[in-house]
Amino acid sequence: MTSKEGHVSAGRWLLLHSTNVRICHWINVIAGGYLLLSGIHIFLDFPELYWGHTGYQGYPAVFKLSDWGLSWEQAGELGNRMWGRNYHFTFAWVFLINGLVYTVWSVVSGHLGARMLPARAELRPASLRADLVEHLRGSSAQRAAATTYGPLQKLSYSLLIFVFVPVMLLTGLAQAPAFAAAWPWLLDLWGGRQSARTLHSIGTGVFVLFVVVHVVEVLMAGAVNRIRAMITGKFRLREEGT
Amino acid sequence: MSKSTDRGPRGVWPRPMSRRHLLTSVPALGGLLVTGCAETHLPPTVRGGLVGAADVLTMSTTRWLMSDQPLAREYERSDIAPNFPTWGQTNPEDEDYQRHLSEGFVNWRLPVTGLVGRPGSFSLDELKRFPSRTQITAHVCEQGWSAIGEWTGVPLAAVLETAGGVSPEAKYVVFNAMDGWYESIDMFDVVHPQTILAYGLNGDELPRGNGAPLRLRVERQCGYKNIKFLKSIDVVDSLAGVGRGTGGLSSDYGFHWYGGV
Repeated sequence: MTSKEGHVSAGRWLLLHSTNVRICHWINVIAGGYLLLSGIHIFLDFPELYWGHTGYQGYPAVFKLSDWGLSWEQAGELGNRMWGRNYHFTFAWVFLINGLVYTVWSVVSGHLGARMLPARAELRPASLRADLVEHLRGSSAQRAAATTYGPLQKLSYSLLIFVFVPVMLLTGLAQAPAFAAAWPWLLDLWGGRQSARTLHSIGTGVFVLFVVVHVVEVLMAGAVNRIRAMITGKFRLREEGT
Repeated sequence: MSKSTDRGPRGVWPRPMSRRHLLTSVPALGGLLVTGCAETHLPPTVRGGLVGAADVLTMSTTRWLMSDQPLAREYERSDIAPNFPTWGQTNPEDEDYQRHLSEGFVNWRLPVTGLVGRPGSFSLDELKRFPSRTQITAHVCEQGWSAIGEWTGVPLAAVLETAGGVSPEAKYVVFNAMDGWYESIDMFDVVHPQTILAYGLNGDELPRGNGAPLRLRVERQCGYKNIKFLKSIDVVDSLAGVGRGTGGLSSDYGFHWYGGV
């Protein structure tokens, strides 16, 4: 439980993920899954997006699902805003509390600085380019052996935690009349409630993209060993690597 | 949080509650949250499981953030939506409603009953003779749309004051509508200056589709709490006898009673 990440235990096993990381990760999977599904439910009940403070059926829209082949009625049959709202707000709390626990722990324990945040040198264009080339051209054996995060991976995780999540939280809160009354700057920050809703919806697309890339990367980098490591913490080191 | 200067009781029934007292009692209510009695900032019925836990967190958090009773944003005339939308019921079939509609609501009256000093009723003209409040605010539908309109009406607090004030045990105001809908709000929103009974929209009489003759505006909650076609209002200490007991048709159906998010 308390053994440090990176500790090589007897044999060829490495403690890759601490208990905290594993618990927070799987809570995130559940909360993120519910947030996505419930968010889609809410959206399908009103499948148009606008910009500014005002937006309703008949008002100039920036996005209409009906332009993409799904009519208002068809979307409405698929969506359920009551279920969606109940579970969206429930798992927003789960996600938020889990995220705060994770962030405080990872700052205090040093996990954040040691493993997650990219170093200045790693952020140089040359470093990022080299990492991308290695990503695209590298062998599966190379990928499967990695036990630290590369510059692009660190950058993605850091942007996700410190940019994406706050943007999603604040665009979500801006849509709520009580939060907008308590914090009127939320409306100014995004230029209106409908702008916040549109950005929140774009963010949903970013989230889906992240999940797809994340899962594909896991599958391409020794899926069994990776998933086992995120469940048990232990990562099996390759023979030639030890 | 507790910058209350008036920590007296919330009006002693049947002594009429002054409007000032009604309004200044709000910080005292907000202060209750930090002194441990959060009763007024919790949903009247807490749903089970994780959803119920989240309801409690949502309501107590937003109430704590709003403990100084901020106003919902008020916009400029130029922000008013070109065609304020109508949604849901736009023409109740109810016979009484249709009769009042055809008569121009001249015989319509709003009964104010329950835990008030002097239960009675008000005609539309009488309500219009109260000092009015006009506010340009965003109607935020829980579906996702929002539209800005200029609402004119009488503050709910002023109506309750004229009805003799509310008794100390009063916790909620229940609104019944002529289309069969019912909703309720708690004292935190009841005493808020932007909580009005609106009879005007964008300088005109309130249109039928938007809830004529009178609708509730509770600006810090979603559209579904802003009940239209008002029939009566009732001040109560418990919502157990309202509908199926959750305090609103929407919450009986499965929405959260508190529409702040």
